[in-house]
Amino acid sequence: MKFTRKLAFNLFAWAIVLAVAFPLFWMLVTSFKPQFELFRRPPTFLPETFTLEHYWRLLSGTNFMIYFRNSAILSTVTTLVVVAIATVGSYSLVRFRYRGRESLAFIVLFTYLLPSVVLIIPLYLMLVQMGLSNTILSLVIAYSTFALPYALWLLRSFMAGIPEDLESAALVDGASRLGAFRDVILPQLLPGIISTALFAFILSWNEYLYALVLVNSDSARPLTTGVMNMLVSAFNIEWSLLMAASVMMSVPLIIVFAFLQSYLTRGFGAGGVKG
Amino acid sequence: MADVILRDIVKSFGSVTALRGLNLQIEEGEFVSLLGPSGCGKTTTLRILAGLEFPTSGTISIGDRVVNDVAPAQRDIAMVFQSYALYPHMTVAENIAYPLKKRRIPRGERTVMVQKAAELLQLTELLRRKPRQLSGGQQQRVALGRALVRDPKVFLLDEPLSNLDAKLRSYMRVELVELHRRLGRTMIYVTHDQLEAMTMSDRIAVMDGGDLQQFAPPNTVYREPANRFVAGFIGTPAMNLVDGELVLSGGDWTFRTGNLSVPVPPLGENAAAGPAALGFRPEHVRFGEGPIEGTVQVVEQSGHENIVVAKFANDLRITGRAPAAQVWKPGEPVRIRIDTAEAHAFAAGPNGERLNRPRAAA
Ligand SMILES: Nc1ncnc2c1ncn2[C@@H]1O[C@H](COP(=O)(O)OP(=O)(O)OP(=O)(O)O)[C@@H](O)[C@H]1O
Ligand SMILES: [Mg+2]
Repeated sequence: MKFTRKLAFNLFAWAIVLAVAFPLFWMLVTSFKPQFELFRRPPTFLPETFTLEHYWRLLSGTNFMIYFRNSAILSTVTTLVVVAIATVGSYSLVRFRYRGRESLAFIVLFTYLLPSVVLIIPLYLMLVQMGLSNTILSLVIAYSTFALPYALWLLRSFMAGIPEDLESAALVDGASRLGAFRDVILPQLLPGIISTALFAFILSWNEYLYALVLVNSDSARPLTTGVMNMLVSAFNIEWSLLMAASVMMSVPLIIVFAFLQSYLTRGFGAGGVKG
Repeated sequence: MADVILRDIVKSFGSVTALRGLNLQIEEGEFVSLLGPSGCGKTTTLRILAGLEFPTSGTISIGDRVVNDVAPAQRDIAMVFQSYALYPHMTVAENIAYPLKKRRIPRGERTVMVQKAAELLQLTELLRRKPRQLSGGQQQRVALGRALVRDPKVFLLDEPLSNLDAKLRSYMRVELVELHRRLGRTMIYVTHDQLEAMTMSDRIAVMDGGDLQQFAPPNTVYREPANRFVAGFIGTPAMNLVDGELVLSGGDWTFRTGNLSVPVPPLGENAAAGPAALGFRPEHVRFGEGPIEGTVQVVEQSGHENIVVAKFANDLRITGRAPAAQVWKPGEPVRIRIDTAEAHAFAAGPNGERLNRPRAAA
């Protein structure tokens, strides 16, 4: 009885894992198959002939590297901007007492509830007026505006978990407010900052709609729209190139995750304050 | 010359008033305990002194200067927090060294000072650990170390020994008194422990409801409590407080309640006939013979004496100390005598002032 329950549970869990993992596996496999092997019936599970020609073509014969660079700059800058503003903002929302503090926090959250499609046209017009159309900066601004509300709330809850006495102790020990922030608050906030950074980075790395509307020059296009534009047309989809591109697009995310997840789970906070 | 002065300090948190017009003058080099029930404003007082909280009104001076607008770092104080407030990401050594680092003391000197503080607090073995790897008592000692490693003008200690075991606590008590004598610094010490307050302090500030009730040397607080609250708060077991009325006849005061009538020591000019309370300590109750008859209710044996609670007419309950040799059993009839020369009379009400004639004048 107990055994069958366990077995059923395990089967169920593995079924879900397979369902999620198989497309990723297929993407990887397809990117290494030569063109002629792609549409064979029955399909080959592992590539019979292993080739890197798609990767080579992508890197040497297309704009892929430009898009990649754009995406890297775009996501990094957005992440930095979002983390910086959200850290300072959440500190203000948690530590300082002023009128309308709570309502301010709720208004911020409310803006996050608006569907981003609604904002796209006004934002586009504003950016054009500012002379920023077709620039990476315009995307940085756009992504920051919709990553910030959530980031602020995320960091606010982390910040609220840091005992006020820690900062008080630093102040008494001779630190300035800024010094206490750097020496005591920031190290405590690190897991929160990492979560926020991951959120902002993934969001700006994967975003499509805004990139499509705001940017239509190859010099500023990020990966998402760039790859679609390059490989998918009404007449033809270059599957193997698309798969190779997808694999390479996933690599940075996997690297970032691998580096940061250990920080995320490491317990920084426990044990400094009684009660 | 007064070193720390709080003048008319009011502190409100929204609708809660934590301090209502607190006045306190502490001499330079004095060891002062703040004693009072939970929530009476002890921590708030320290936080205001430290500059972590702004008073709603009133002025604070440390040394000769008004420090209302001076940042905590510039007030030259060290503080032990009730919550310890150790920096979780730093080791014990780094925690203790942090205030020195902020004062730009060179690394070599710092290490020596940390080592010395660690020895004093028996922390030498733990210097490389993180706070979360320590027991509550060890954490508390680190918190103490972070304050004692410095030589500030004023030490603010918020229940710094509350979590130590009995042995370590009495050891630390002696060490703190010794340290105070050596440094000659002003120390303000918050505690719930009356024994600590009585044994360590030059003066005790008894607080209740955000207000100072009495500020006097331990002996005075014990023997001449300023009001009924102090009388009931200081001393274990607590002073017996009986409600009744004062009667003046032929120049002598008598206290009456039910069919009990006892003479009262000479009263001061603030005394008036009418409702009042009589207070007398358990050690001033004699068991065995006497005019008052009742029944033993509870007996607590502590080895060298017995604490006896007896019940009398009109639901009157009186606690007394009896020698260990006297054996009392619950339910037994008992007679007592109250040593009224040592009794106190208080005006009616929970904070009724003491009415006895001042000792010097008596
Ligand atoms: N930040 C705050 N916001 C609202 N009320 C507060 C705040 N800090 C303290 N109080 C209130 O002020 C009063 C005094 O608090 P305080 O911490 O000074 O008490 P305490 O004497 O230190 O008590 P304890 O012995 O339990 O530590 C309490 O009623 C408390 O609820
Ligand atoms: Mg307190």
